Amino acid sequence: MKFTLNWLKQYLDLDLTATELADRLTMAGLEVEAVEPLFVGLDLVKVGRVTAVAPHPNADKLVLCTVEVGAETRRVVCGAPNARPGLVTAIALPGAVLPSGMTIRISKIRGEISEGMLCSEKELGISEAHQGGIMELSADLASGRDLVEALELADTMIEVDLTPNRADCASVIGLAREAGSFVGRHLTAPIAGELPALTSANLPFVVQVQAAADCPRYVARLLKGVTIGPSPWWLRRRLLAVGQRPINNVVDITNFVMLEYGQPLHAFDFACLAGGRVEVRRAMAGEQLQTLDGVTRDLNPEMLLICDAEKPVAVAGVMGGANSEVHPATTEVLLESACFNPMSVRRTSRVLGLGTEASYRFERGVDPQLAPQAMERAVRLLCEITGATAVPGGVDYREGVKPRPTITMRVTRTNDLLGLNLDADTIVRHLASIEIPAVKQADETIAVAPPSFRIDLEREIDLVEEVARLVGYNDIPTSLPMVPMCFPEQDAARLMRKRLAGIMIALGFYEAINYSFVGARHCDMLGLAAGHAARCCVPLLNPLGEDQGVMRTMLLPGLLENVRRNINFQTTDVRLFEIGKVFHPVGDAQPHEKMHLTAVLTGRRKPRSPVVHFGGALVDIFDAKGVVDAILDGCRLPQLAFVPASDGEIAAPDQFIRLMVDGQEAGQFGQLSLKVAKEFGIKQPLFYLDIDLEVLSGLPPAVIQCLPLARFPAVRWDLAVVVAEEVRAGDLVAAIYAAAEPLVEKVELFDIYRGKPMEKGRKSVALSLTYRANERTLDDATVGAVHTRLTDMILTRFKARLREV
Amino acid sequence: MEAELHRLQTEARAALTASVNALGLEAFRVKYLGRKGLFTTVMRALGDVPVAERPRLGKLANDVRQELEEAFAAREAELAGSQMAVGAPRSDLTLPGRLAPFGKSHPVTQVMEEVCAIFEGLGFAVAEGPDVELDYYNFEALNIPPHHPARDMHDTFYVSDSVLLRTHTSPMQVRAMQKAAPPLRMIAPGKVYRCDSDITHTPMFHQVEGFLVDRKVSFGDLKGVLSVFIAKMFDKKTPIRFRPSFFPFTEPSAEVDIGCVICKGEGCRVCKKTGWLEILGAGLIDPAVFKMVGYDPDAYTGFAFGLGMERIAMLKYGITDIRMFYENDLRFLSQF
Repeated sequence: MKFTLNWLKQYLDLDLTATELADRLTMAGLEVEAVEPLFVGLDLVKVGRVTAVAPHPNADKLVLCTVEVGAETRRVVCGAPNARPGLVTAIALPGAVLPSGMTIRISKIRGEISEGMLCSEKELGISEAHQGGIMELSADLASGRDLVEALELADTMIEVDLTPNRADCASVIGLAREAGSFVGRHLTAPIAGELPALTSANLPFVVQVQAAADCPRYVARLLKGVTIGPSPWWLRRRLLAVGQRPINNVVDITNFVMLEYGQPLHAFDFACLAGGRVEVRRAMAGEQLQTLDGVTRDLNPEMLLICDAEKPVAVAGVMGGANSEVHPATTEVLLESACFNPMSVRRTSRVLGLGTEASYRFERGVDPQLAPQAMERAVRLLCEITGATAVPGGVDYREGVKPRPTITMRVTRTNDLLGLNLDADTIVRHLASIEIPAVKQADETIAVAPPSFRIDLEREIDLVEEVARLVGYNDIPTSLPMVPMCFPEQDAARLMRKRLAGIMIALGFYEAINYSFVGARHCDMLGLAAGHAARCCVPLLNPLGEDQGVMRTMLLPGLLENVRRNINFQTTDVRLFEIGKVFHPVGDAQPHEKMHLTAVLTGRRKPRSPVVHFGGALVDIFDAKGVVDAILDGCRLPQLAFVPASDGEIAAPDQFIRLMVDGQEAGQFGQLSLKVAKEFGIKQPLFYLDIDLEVLSGLPPAVIQCLPLARFPAVRWDLAVVVAEEVRAGDLVAAIYAAAEPLVEKVELFDIYRGKPMEKGRKSVALSLTYRANERTLDDATVGAVHTRLTDMILTRFKARLREV
Repeated sequence: MEAELHRLQTEARAALTASVNALGLEAFRVKYLGRKGLFTTVMRALGDVPVAERPRLGKLANDVRQELEEAFAAREAELAGSQMAVGAPRSDLTLPGRLAPFGKSHPVTQVMEEVCAIFEGLGFAVAEGPDVELDYYNFEALNIPPHHPARDMHDTFYVSDSVLLRTHTSPMQVRAMQKAAPPLRMIAPGKVYRCDSDITHTPMFHQVEGFLVDRKVSFGDLKGVLSVFIAKMFDKKTPIRFRPSFFPFTEPSAEVDIGCVICKGEGCRVCKKTGWLEILGAGLIDPAVFKMVGYDPDAYTGFAFGLGMERIAMLKYGITDIRMFYENDLRFLSQF
């Protein structure tokens, strides 16, 4: 809502500056968005009178004007068609800087000296109007005056960001009422109080309202002898100052009164209303109407219309129809000042995708008592400005206007809620300052009759808020709640996520956060099969774009996009993880949401260390495996099994491992297949891991049972065997553990060697076995016996031979 | 024997150079210089050489052994890293350190954890809810019926007529109150969504919603709790002001401003020359919400508040474009 300081002062004796007023409004809950001085930079623009016009010797379209500016005379070259002797207009003198940035100088135009510039409204930033040429000012303005002063342009525009509850402040009068409480004065509205009732006898038109719920009030009057023309300057200035485009006197008056009172009005060309009839009804199926903006609208039976005897002529509360628009030849105007159901207007405006100043106000609710006042104000202005006469009487349909119940306000309750200690008289006084009539009752309550203009005040709590507002939030003393001590339960899943994040960070990963919605094409880029579970997404009905069209079912694609971005910006060592939700549809209900941990690693193994220490070795699958090991160790979940598999859809062959527990997949990791990497524009090897935290958080972590520390030394014996290439080193280690020799403490793989002197297709695997007894130092004979048993077992089971030293 | 000594010397030198760690050095020591080592074995053979040769070979053996022991000591010192043997080249300490792996939390997470920690310290429980929420919890139960103009304050992503992406974490208020009787103290951190995207809006962002319900909770209490929070989150001296506002689920409703952290109240671009920054929405829980969850609005009162994490992170860290949070550029992430 925009207004100007001077406009507001028209109704209220206010001695605040624009900035002070803006601050007070903001602190009263009417947040000021902007305070803009209007028409600045017009210091050197004066009123000038053209005394003579002569042809330009060197240009057909230009003329030489002699302009009287007070005592001075200026010679100005001008191209405007309306430059003529006797015209009073605006002249920008040398040195003036116009709003367009143009600086006026004494210059030669086609060989003739020009000592200034005659200006149009557009050139001065006053309006968009340009067509007629330079400004045509009232002939009685004395030349030489400052234009700003002569036209009373100096003013400040203030824009308030209204909250939906303050419908009353979508009007200058509403804001003036509120401002009245800042200075302890009440406003004077142009029309106020009870107006004489309108009689509908002998009218040349009838109004019929179908449902009072849709249209609680409908006031209509007829004006004859209207002359359509431009509005007087004062009216245009008001509209221009708040960014509205003047159209013609009738339309400008309806807009002005709407801004002044908050009551939208509509003017119909009465000659276009068939049968002299106004019907307020719902649309019929298939009806259409071309609205004032030239768009033909399909109407549906939910929408409320204004119709004549034959056809729709307006969408009620939203926009008028082109078929009954006021035009230059209009002489009879039927003026509508009505109140429509907020929900109905809102629904219609949504469906049509058409929001207007009128629908904005009706959606928030218009005081039903405003209709006759705004009507009276507009009728008076129309008579004064357009030369019209009002047909006596009119229609005032008001069956939908409900009386409003008195609200009982408890003084104790008010004080308890606010933490204040006000007495009833103080509360009454506060409410009276914004014209809310309140009466103190005998039982420490206050009876409040909510004024019609505050349609938002319905309950005790609404009044409590008013009191808080009027006291000032910052004057309410600060306290701390007295609440019983308790220990809030902690969410185990959240704790696990924090633990996991800690582990990932310790392992050198940075946390990423990606949008929960992604493009459906991610599944194609990953090459997922047609029926893949991840392809079954929850789509959004109104996404911002195709690449944010569905809720994600995997975190990996987002991270891959992040990797590409980083590589594009020359960061090629990337370790990122994300802990976030994926979404799987469940019929029409809310989707199933579950947390995943996904990480990607690519680039050098020691990304933060210089090559001088570590060379440039790149990460491989075992780095990924080590990360998974660390996660499982950190979460104390040794029961997960690593199962190498070859059916990974996005992983490279032989570079894919599933994490299994109780026959269920808890996650997977591997190298991203080159094909998928290419789809994401990644040209370097990339490893990923993905863990389903729903599965993980369902697993019992291993109980911590501290073991005593060994007191006797261990001995290490090595075992190097030559086996076939197909034999997996991990199986050798597992076999030794499986033999369950009590003295074996640890088996470590320390070397794998291929090449001479071994034949092709065989490799040497070297293991280091740690033996220890808890109660004594082991001797060679004891260890030797066990070591031989294990060696024989390995040789037989894996068809191995000992490697000669 | 002389040939044997020379061969041993060459082999030992090579082995020493090949020893790259303490384990390797120890193996070297045992193999060559130990009590049962190869040198001892060779020295034992000194008894078998002719007497005339003994002094020369004895000296040679000693020289070789001494050289190897010195080389061993030097290698040991070198590998130990710091204590250099005399005459050996000095460490170039301008070489960069070997950095241990170390990542970082996302700045939004950092701020969110900081906010949660402050309220947890005040005894608030932490609860999370679904991102894809029912219209009922996101709007209706919060006193925002269909076709209410307050819905304009939320540009909502819809999944169906009745299912949407939550526009705030306030639905947790209703879910929690439906589950438990007062007193309740809870915060709900999480992702929220609005269809809006520009330099100050992303379609997804993070919010922490908090509320407290008990008997006789007042607006003064709300001011008190939020003042404590702001003093901890920013600075003890940060000025605070409360302004009337409107949220359908609170009444009285307030916006909370803090003195601009950039210009210290002088007026700058970030605070639009007002000297104040809006960081929180809050208010007393509307009785209509209590009725929705079956609480007696005359018996219980409470307050609720909500704040955006990105905004706080932007203010704290001087981030000017909100979209940077979701690009996950390591040059950005590594700064926090």
